[in-house]
Amino acid sequence: MAARTLRALCRPRLLVAGSSRRAAAGAEFRSAYSLDKLYPPRGGGGGGGDTGSEQEAKPPALDIPMDRLTVSYCRSSGPGGQNVNKVNTKAEVRFHLASADWIPEAVRQKMASMHKNKINRAGELIVNSEESRYQMRNLAICLEKIRVMVTEATEKPKVVSKETAQELIARVEKMNRERLRQKKIHSNIKQSRKADFD
Amino acid sequence: MGGPGGSRALELLRSLPRVSLANLRPSPGSKKKEKRRGRGRYGGRKCGRGHKGERQRGNRPRLGFEGGQTPFYLAIPKYGFNEGHSLRRQYQPLSLQKLQYLIDLGRVDPTQPIDLTQLTNARGVTVQPLKRDYGIQLVEEGADIFSAKVNIEVQRASELAIATIEKNGGVITTSFYDPRSLEILIKPVVFFLRGQPIPKRMLPPEDLVRYYTDASNRGYLADPSKVEEARLELAKKYGYSLPDITKDELFKMLSTRKDPRQIFFGLAPGWIVNMADKKILKPTDERLLKYYSS
Repeated sequence: MAARTLRALCRPRLLVAGSSRRAAAGAEFRSAYSLDKLYPPRGGGGGGGDTGSEQEAKPPALDIPMDRLTVSYCRSSGPGGQNVNKVNTKAEVRFHLASADWIPEAVRQKMASMHKNKINRAGELIVNSEESRYQMRNLAICLEKIRVMVTEATEKPKVVSKETAQELIARVEKMNRERLRQKKIHSNIKQSRKADFD
Repeated sequence: MGGPGGSRALELLRSLPRVSLANLRPSPGSKKKEKRRGRGRYGGRKCGRGHKGERQRGNRPRLGFEGGQTPFYLAIPKYGFNEGHSLRRQYQPLSLQKLQYLIDLGRVDPTQPIDLTQLTNARGVTVQPLKRDYGIQLVEEGADIFSAKVNIEVQRASELAIATIEKNGGVITTSFYDPRSLEILIKPVVFFLRGQPIPKRMLPPEDLVRYYTDASNRGYLADPSKVEEARLELAKKYGYSLPDITKDELFKMLSTRKDPRQIFFGLAPGWIVNMADKKILKPTDERLLKYYSS
């Protein structure tokens, strides 16, 4: 939504600026491959229609409100000499889990039970990352970890339907029967090779 | 030292004797005496050749010979590490730290769009098109201290570098320059003195089209609406709020972009720049105009 308004703001203003400059200077060069010829501005839902028609390979990432989180940076551990000693690259993100209304209630409770080792006495979930050399990337990794936690807590346990369960049992039994049949055949072959002189 | 109006030096010149071979001398320490063998206790006797054997007699075997053992350079099997190295595209790295350094020192002006020409004039990067360099790539070193709002155009950029520039309210575009256009871009004056019309920039080759039409790389041939979406996505991923550049006072400068066929800002292909008379000659024939705007 914000993107569309921004786009709507950008395009007319750029066109206006371009046309005024063209009128003034007379030389805003436009070749056959300029952007407005490659992607002619269509009215309304031209852009929306395109993205809707093609398959969304991955669902949109969870929107994490940054002002609800507390982000702090400190120095990372490990080798690295002067750089690791002086530069604050470890990013730590904490937020109060029970009052995080950007996560659904059921998911919140699931998360509280799954990651109770990461929740402190005040009820804040703490996620930290010191994998990268850059603060920004460590922050992105923290946010990614939070998203993964929420996704894991959201997934429902796989319910096996009755028919499928019966099919699975039937399959196992059939396998065992076949195995025993083959075993008997093999046993007969070996028996027939025995020379029993009575 | 000069005195008022440089008169002291002039007085000196008048009073000193004429410069001739008799009163010239090299500055002390500039000319070091060469080591001459066969003279005196230290340069002479064995003359630095050692005692007997192949060493003294100058009969040592070739470089790499290991006395008959299979030498290292033959024992190791061949593998195509460097195969086709002269056909690989190279991009000179430009770290965000260096860019910040140049802006802080005033060598690069952030109030104008930053281009490879600006960076080369500021001696921030040195690009050699003859060594298969196809431009510069923006590298993340210094991402945490970068704080400049710029409109920058590079040839490749990593995701974190793009995020850093956009976080500070700037605009980044990746564009392609074929070797001829690149050579013209880094040395514009030398090109103008040739008196040839500015050529049109070629489109990227097949394997690079995908890169430059991708909005996540901010390619110059990508759909602007998709670029907007990619900006928002990146802001979500890296956890910063995307500053609204439309509300910026430098919005007009930040949104200037070159046409895909244009090499210089403000100069179109087909124009001849006359440096001596400070004039620009533009073609008027319709066939030429049609060719240069195709």
